Amino acid sequence: MLMDASTLLAYLPVLLAGAVTTVELTLFTLIGGFVIALPVALARNAQGSAPRWFAHGFVFFFRGAPLLVILYLVYYGLPQIPGIKESPIWLLIARPMPIAILALSLNSAGFLTEIIAGALRNVPAGEVEAARAFGLSRLQTFTRIIAPHAARLALRSYGNEAVFVLKGTAVVNFITITDLVGAANQVYFNTFDPFTPLIVAGVFYLMIVFAMLRLVKWAERRLNPWAFAAPS
Amino acid sequence: MDLALFSLGPTGWGDELIAGLDLTLRLAVTAIIAGTALGLVSALAEITPVPLLGRSLESINMVLRSVPELLVIFLIYYGAAIALAALLAPLGFTGFFEIDRFWSGVLALALIHAAYASEVFRGGFLAVPKGEIDAARAFGMSPLLVFFRIRLPLAFRLAMPGLTNLVMTTLKSTPLVSAIGLQDLIRVAGDAGQNTKEYFQFYMATLVIYLGIAAVVLVLQTRSERRLFRHLRVGR
Repeated sequence: MLMDASTLLAYLPVLLAGAVTTVELTLFTLIGGFVIALPVALARNAQGSAPRWFAHGFVFFFRGAPLLVILYLVYYGLPQIPGIKESPIWLLIARPMPIAILALSLNSAGFLTEIIAGALRNVPAGEVEAARAFGLSRLQTFTRIIAPHAARLALRSYGNEAVFVLKGTAVVNFITITDLVGAANQVYFNTFDPFTPLIVAGVFYLMIVFAMLRLVKWAERRLNPWAFAAPS
Repeated sequence: MDLALFSLGPTGWGDELIAGLDLTLRLAVTAIIAGTALGLVSALAEITPVPLLGRSLESINMVLRSVPELLVIFLIYYGAAIALAALLAPLGFTGFFEIDRFWSGVLALALIHAAYASEVFRGGFLAVPKGEIDAARAFGMSPLLVFFRIRLPLAFRLAMPGLTNLVMTTLKSTPLVSAIGLQDLIRVAGDAGQNTKEYFQFYMATLVIYLGIAAVVLVLQTRSERRLFRHLRVGR
């Protein structure tokens, strides 16, 4: 009763196309979220109070607001900015896909900022001082000492956040994009069998999550080779 | 900002928005209470040494934590009627079930909440110091009494920060139930936007309401944590 093989076979291409959209959205959101979160995280740890307050506001705003509300605000709000329809940016954002990625990235950046800022703060001061004492410039200290160490500290939380990004992409159904959930929904309306498409979609999501967790494990090994070295 | 849009009565959308907010809050509170209770039960089942039960609950929770909320909502809303009818078919039932949207939404959000809460509670139970349990046993408390007087209160305290975070997460998932046609806050705001072509203002109002709720939860969280962990504070 739960699974119907003929439905599955007939509609597998639809579901796969949906899965591709979901993976695409997740990848672009992970990139966009990181690009937005890094400067905000640096502001969060800055000396001055103005950047710190900005970062606090940013985090509160995007962590406290439901993803769907942010999506609708961007989707309906951007076109109302005067003059935007004449500017070249309009060509880029007149389609739902870039708007969805922008909204998802902003939401993810709210969570990512805290993760990155926390990891950067927890790099031992001694390491930074030692690097400076060895004559590394500030930029070198950041790229060679602080960033790798912070990446190690943040990796676990980052993996969890990536799973949340994947789950969050389902909201794009509200702005006419058909992702994996949307594809399953379409199959339901064609066949009136909710179980086959939705369970298959669920299995796809699980497979993506497992792949993500494997990637995090792999990155953990690469970043901490000594912790995983074979005992000699 | 045009305040006439938000006035009460037939011309403004104020009363409709309040009704939507009422539905959202009822849905969230019911789902959070039911989900927390379910999560506690699930955590207890996971830490009791009944092998198969714990493992299967763990897998179910893992699945619920990996798939989008929207998928669970659809599965329950579309699937519950068919599943119920199929279950009752052997008893000679041939009718059709009308599944209530509100309760499908509550059930979906509660199950997801429970999947996360179970993890939080389990962490709490595992973090209860063994010495406290040994001490209580040495004082002659029965295992049941130890559970209610020592393990449960301590685990609850340790789980509290995680649980309040979950309250926020579930609150922010509530707009998703508008996908099954519930007239919640965001759906009403959308209808108002469609009628007046003022989408931005109505969604902005929705945002402010949600951020207000988030701020209240945040204050309650800081307060409750200060109270629960006051024994750990040094000096004052």
